[in-house]
Amino acid sequence: MAEFYGTTVADIFNTMPKRFKPEEAKDEDIAIGYECKGEGKWKVTIKHGTIKVEEVKGDLKGCATTIHAADAETFIGTTLGKIQAMDALTTGKLRVVGDVKLLMTLLPKIFVQYTAPEKKSSVVAKDIISTITERFRPDKAAGVDMKVGYDLAGEGGGKWTIVIKDGKCAVKEGLAKDLTVKMTMPAEIYVGMMLGTISGESAFTSGQVKLDGDMMAAGATSRFFNKFVDPNAKASEAEELITIKVTNSINCRFATGTAYGMWFKGLKEKKFLANVCPKCGRTQITPREICAFCRVRCNEFVELGPRGTITAADVVYFASPDPLTGAVRETPYAMCWILLDNASPQEAFCFDIKREDLPKMKVGARVRPVWAKETKGTFTDLLYFELDK
Amino acid sequence: MKKQSAKPAKAHKKNRNVGIVGIGMTSLSSHKEDQNQPEMIHEAVRAALADAKMTLDDIDCIVHGNMELFEMQYQPDMWHVLGSGAYGKDEYRITTGGTVGATLVCAADNLVASGLYDTVLAIGFEKLQEGNTTGGITNMADPLWFRNIQTGALTGTTAAMMIDEFGAERAKKAAMKYRILMDKHAMLNERAHRRFGLEYDQAEDLMKTSPQLVGELRLIHMCSQSDGACAMIFTHEKKAKKVSKTPVWIRDHITVHREENMSNLYAFEKPEMTHHYAARKLFERNGIKDPVKYFDVFEMYDPSAWWGLDWSREFLQLKGDEHLRMLEDGEFDLDGKLPLNPSGGVIASNPIGATAMLRPAFAALQIRGDAGGCQIKKPVRHALASGFGGTLWTVLMMLEKDLDW
Repeated sequence: MAEFYGTTVADIFNTMPKRFKPEEAKDEDIAIGYECKGEGKWKVTIKHGTIKVEEVKGDLKGCATTIHAADAETFIGTTLGKIQAMDALTTGKLRVVGDVKLLMTLLPKIFVQYTAPEKKSSVVAKDIISTITERFRPDKAAGVDMKVGYDLAGEGGGKWTIVIKDGKCAVKEGLAKDLTVKMTMPAEIYVGMMLGTISGESAFTSGQVKLDGDMMAAGATSRFFNKFVDPNAKASEAEELITIKVTNSINCRFATGTAYGMWFKGLKEKKFLANVCPKCGRTQITPREICAFCRVRCNEFVELGPRGTITAADVVYFASPDPLTGAVRETPYAMCWILLDNASPQEAFCFDIKREDLPKMKVGARVRPVWAKETKGTFTDLLYFELDK
Repeated sequence: MKKQSAKPAKAHKKNRNVGIVGIGMTSLSSHKEDQNQPEMIHEAVRAALADAKMTLDDIDCIVHGNMELFEMQYQPDMWHVLGSGAYGKDEYRITTGGTVGATLVCAADNLVASGLYDTVLAIGFEKLQEGNTTGGITNMADPLWFRNIQTGALTGTTAAMMIDEFGAERAKKAAMKYRILMDKHAMLNERAHRRFGLEYDQAEDLMKTSPQLVGELRLIHMCSQSDGACAMIFTHEKKAKKVSKTPVWIRDHITVHREENMSNLYAFEKPEMTHHYAARKLFERNGIKDPVKYFDVFEMYDPSAWWGLDWSREFLQLKGDEHLRMLEDGEFDLDGKLPLNPSGGVIASNPIGATAMLRPAFAALQIRGDAGGCQIKKPVRHALASGFGGTLWTVLMMLEKDLDW
């Protein structure tokens, strides 16, 4: 299993159940397949707040959406945000078959962001012992006279005696015969205690640390020294880039003016009102105060449509935010350019097409408007256009 | 296409010639969390000053711009004084949308040409990662009507129209060739943001499997979202000749808008595109009969492979499939008849407020011979650079090596 950015693909799947947020997924019922070349395949089934993660041999079956990564580096990098998902998707190193927006919408909602496990410190007991004299605080050890022995077994371990006397501290290799107290433990436990990843109390209680001599003296030693700081940890802390997250939400009110006012008044009556240029005759929809080409006022209004012909059609797969609600739009949806009946030939009108009509929608097709039950003179009055069969 | 009949625009009456004497830019990348906005701008400003062998004492006025609502921060010019060096100087803030970078150059040119200021520093920047571009564009659309249906800057209509005109196979192939050519150029430009190392044999696969955004506009075709800043220094002829061995001269520029409403773009009868109109007028008044022959490089604002390819026809006043043939025959390559976007274009790097300024900046570097890895081998004397924004705005600019027109 290849490791990138301090983690493996299996780590990501193994932690999935722990990172899962059942409350956020209580309405979900979906199976997502993952394939990471050279690493394996996984199927993640999410159903009404439960999750099942299984490694799959052979084909990924019964998955609504499958996510394919070209290699472990891509999969891990994009999961951790070290590689831009957009870049990986652009070059095809990351591929989604099915619903692409799952990546941006559902997954961040139902999972706690994966972070690589804390890198195990490369610090060994010997390194910590070697800093003892510089961490010594003479002010706290006035009048203390003791010899503390450490017998640390395993890699990076050894035997040392710390001599504290007359406000001075020295470290000697080997164990002195007249020790005040001797502590015996595996070297890695000592490192863990010093780094604060292992509790001294529980290590002692569980018998991992053996004390021989004056127990009170053993307990007192910590206050004679400044805390050991892992030099590696310090480096990563210094590299942290601080950013501030802000989400803006602003309520707006816009005056329509006269020409647009007529347009919205028309919508209330389920009519498309355009104004006509007295010079070139074009029907402006939506209406503007003047014809920008002829630079003359357009005061005459005519009713267009209500039926029309599609002149261009766009099927949108990218889930952009809906500016009216802030929510991610449901995709796919269609944006069509429609030439309403009686409109001048260059003045098409852009609007949505009924979702169900998407497969049959094409340039030249005839459409008719579908209105809201209650029209209020605003843009929500017009729901969409549908094919006019 | 119906040609528009506005009164013919006259060439600029320049009081004096204006030269570009300093160009500075930051690296262009997806995240610049190691710098805040003034720090990023400062990097570009310092680079431009160093390039011009000038100090801030030489600068009389600063023009500064971006798309403020992308980062949701007002009066960025005030915050940026820390990095722009505008303390005690006259400063103008300009925001015109995607075109802002090009408009900054136009403004700086006009300010110097008019004699109001001798030396002007223009700064374009954007930190798109600090905001939400698609959300921003969508939320800023015409509030009375278009906002309810806007999808950011994404549209598949051009792809559909090109497929309709040239057939699906040829059109899709051409869009991918354009995309990969831009990546090949970006690979040569050490400053570019996205450098994927794409090969032409990946085209077939990518055109089928790259996620669809809108219609046949796929993720692979679309431009990046980048962070970065660009700064340029402009001064009058006398001083330019004194301070710089290689000043690049601004010959002329034109700005063309459509109505803010996009209604009449895609009906059965299509209006003359702003790009076509801008190029037609600019070439007419400067006596350019054959732009492909005249220009040695074209830095085009190409937000997607489909748009870039389609717009090359509009700008270069080509007919039928001439633009496709130019691409297919390698005429847009670095060693082709008219190298197109040696920088990798907007598809490779797009810090929006700087993007349209990077076009004349990269074009000017080509004229100077300072474009680094993406330098065109044959001499570059005449350059064309475009900006694009909003509901079809065009800024088109001509740069020259010699004052001989």
